[in-house]
Amino acid sequence: MSELTRSAKGVDTPDATNRTVRIEATNHDGSFLGKTLTPKKFASGVDSGFAFADLLFGLDLGNAPAFGFAYPDWRGHLDDVYFRPDMSTLVEWEPGLDAVIGDYWLKDGTPVPLCPRNLTKKMVDRLSSLGFTATVAVEIEATVFEESIHQARARGYRDLTPLGGSAGTAYHLAKSKDWTGYMNAVADRLYAVGIEWEAWSDEDAAGQIEINLAPGDPITVCDAWARTRQIMREVAFDLGHTVTFMAKPTAGYGQASHINLSLQRDGVNAFYAEEGPSEAMRHAVGGLLATIEGNTSIVLPQITSYRRLVDLSGPPVTATWGVSNKTTAIRAVCGHPSYSRLEYRVPGADANLYLALAGVLAGVVAGLERKIEPPEPVSEMAWCMPPGEITRLPDTITKAAAALEADPVLRDLLGADFVDYWVGSRRWEWMQFHTAGGDPFSELSEWESARYFELP
Amino acid sequence: MTETTTAPAVSGAATATEVDVRIEDDATPLVRLIGRTLRDSARAGHALQALRKPAATVAIRSHETPQAATIAFTGGVVEVSSGVPVEPDATITVDLNARFAPAGAPSGDAELAADALLALSPPVPDWRTAAEHFWTAARSVPGIPDVLIAVTEGPEGLEQVVLGEGTTHYLIAGAPETLAGVFSGADDLLAVLSTGVLGIQGTLSQLSVMVGASWKVRYDV
Repeated sequence: MSELTRSAKGVDTPDATNRTVRIEATNHDGSFLGKTLTPKKFASGVDSGFAFADLLFGLDLGNAPAFGFAYPDWRGHLDDVYFRPDMSTLVEWEPGLDAVIGDYWLKDGTPVPLCPRNLTKKMVDRLSSLGFTATVAVEIEATVFEESIHQARARGYRDLTPLGGSAGTAYHLAKSKDWTGYMNAVADRLYAVGIEWEAWSDEDAAGQIEINLAPGDPITVCDAWARTRQIMREVAFDLGHTVTFMAKPTAGYGQASHINLSLQRDGVNAFYAEEGPSEAMRHAVGGLLATIEGNTSIVLPQITSYRRLVDLSGPPVTATWGVSNKTTAIRAVCGHPSYSRLEYRVPGADANLYLALAGVLAGVVAGLERKIEPPEPVSEMAWCMPPGEITRLPDTITKAAAALEADPVLRDLLGADFVDYWVGSRRWEWMQFHTAGGDPFSELSEWESARYFELP
Repeated sequence: MTETTTAPAVSGAATATEVDVRIEDDATPLVRLIGRTLRDSARAGHALQALRKPAATVAIRSHETPQAATIAFTGGVVEVSSGVPVEPDATITVDLNARFAPAGAPSGDAELAADALLALSPPVPDWRTAAEHFWTAARSVPGIPDVLIAVTEGPEGLEQVVLGEGTTHYLIAGAPETLAGVFSGADDLLAVLSTGVLGIQGTLSQLSVMVGASWKVRYDV
């Protein structure tokens, strides 16, 4: 295992023996973007930042500029925004290549309002002002196919062969060596770059895996999430396979990205109470439910995201919470100070975790600040309920965008610049899907496979 | 993605001509385009006989994408919904960037298909009227420039219409019929721009907003 971090290395700049440095950050869609620099060039910009065309937040996943809405002041005629590295994230990615994650800033030193990592930081700071720190964990789900990325591209990412056989039973150990070989190689790479993980297992669908990263502070976990997905892609490339984080890579099973969250105050789990949910947990749930319809746009970002929302198929479809009830959108886990937490079950595997977590923390902050009491928990099954009994989550990208646009709480906490830009980009996505080749009547259209399989 | 709930038409003008055009909730762009176009026809008193057909269904399909919609005529009420869930009386495959121009011979009831195409081809107003209509609709789009200047080459030289007041300007120049098509929503702004027959002057952000404004008149978004 390499000595990786700045503190571990005891230096401020990358290892001089390394040839190059890769600077990394996600765009709004969750794609992991960056540049590879010489050590000299990197050293010249560690403090001042590195220029990126603002178009990195303007291009859609089809590489077209998104139109239809007013750009905020920071978006001009392809003007620059500035990447500033967070040196605490410096790692040796592989021999000859260091890597560092950072954020996007404007010339005047203010964060780019759309920068996902900065938005998460903003919500972490807001939570801190209330006296709380958050511990989060994320489940990464992905599907691995036998074919190489080149074969997958040639086939339009369809009719691929799930790695490890056609069995699709969760926790199945009777997997062929190529499947376990892939995950062992992923685990080796995670060790090599210092990413803590806790478990991986066979998931429901053929070729599908789930990997659980170690709980931690929000930014650390988001950084680990971004890098783990990059590693899973790189290992697939190396082994001649391909992996995707689409919300539905085939017409069958979907893929989620559940977020587990607990709050600490003075070193104590604030969600724990002997009798069940603590007051802090109740208020957090209240805030999360108050913002859940608007947040759906953020945690289900793409056209395909909404194809998961099918009753009885696993994902939540209603704006509900319950204690130990996985049919609801928010599952409260109670009973012990070591594990009392909330599980936010709406996000798809295609969500940008930085943004998803920013939205979730905004809901929690709203609940705590405004002491929002949640409705009664749902103890019955939250699928297939009679109309009018319960509020259903927005089930299209346009309905969710409208909900976010109308949410005063998220607008206040995440910022109008972010909300308006995000909503505009989702409407563009909707228009592109319908007018540029997507088929809403198929279970999964070729347009979606081409757009979402490799990216984000 | 395929909700079929119907909602009442917004157009008061449609009521005046005793044609009620309805589109489904959360409608697709094609459904919105058809609905808006039929309302324009009703408002203009165009093809009223076709719009008041007693009972008939017509499928409209895009010639180059999977977009499809069904128009159901029921004696003055016209409902437009996405997809083609039942066998229609007629099917027309059209070029959506050429004002519903047929891309082949229709199938099914030929007379019905011809009537539907007639209903989908309302008269395009002159460019000045279209510009004023566009400006009225576009004013509510966040970030819209203060002033729209439409310029064309007339028989006696350059002609222009200046709409609005303020410091931020946006200029669109083209032939009268080009301007009329874009401003009325009959033609897609980005598609027309890509052909090179339209000139624009403004910022990149303003172009983005103008695209949103063009959606408003074309799709009633």
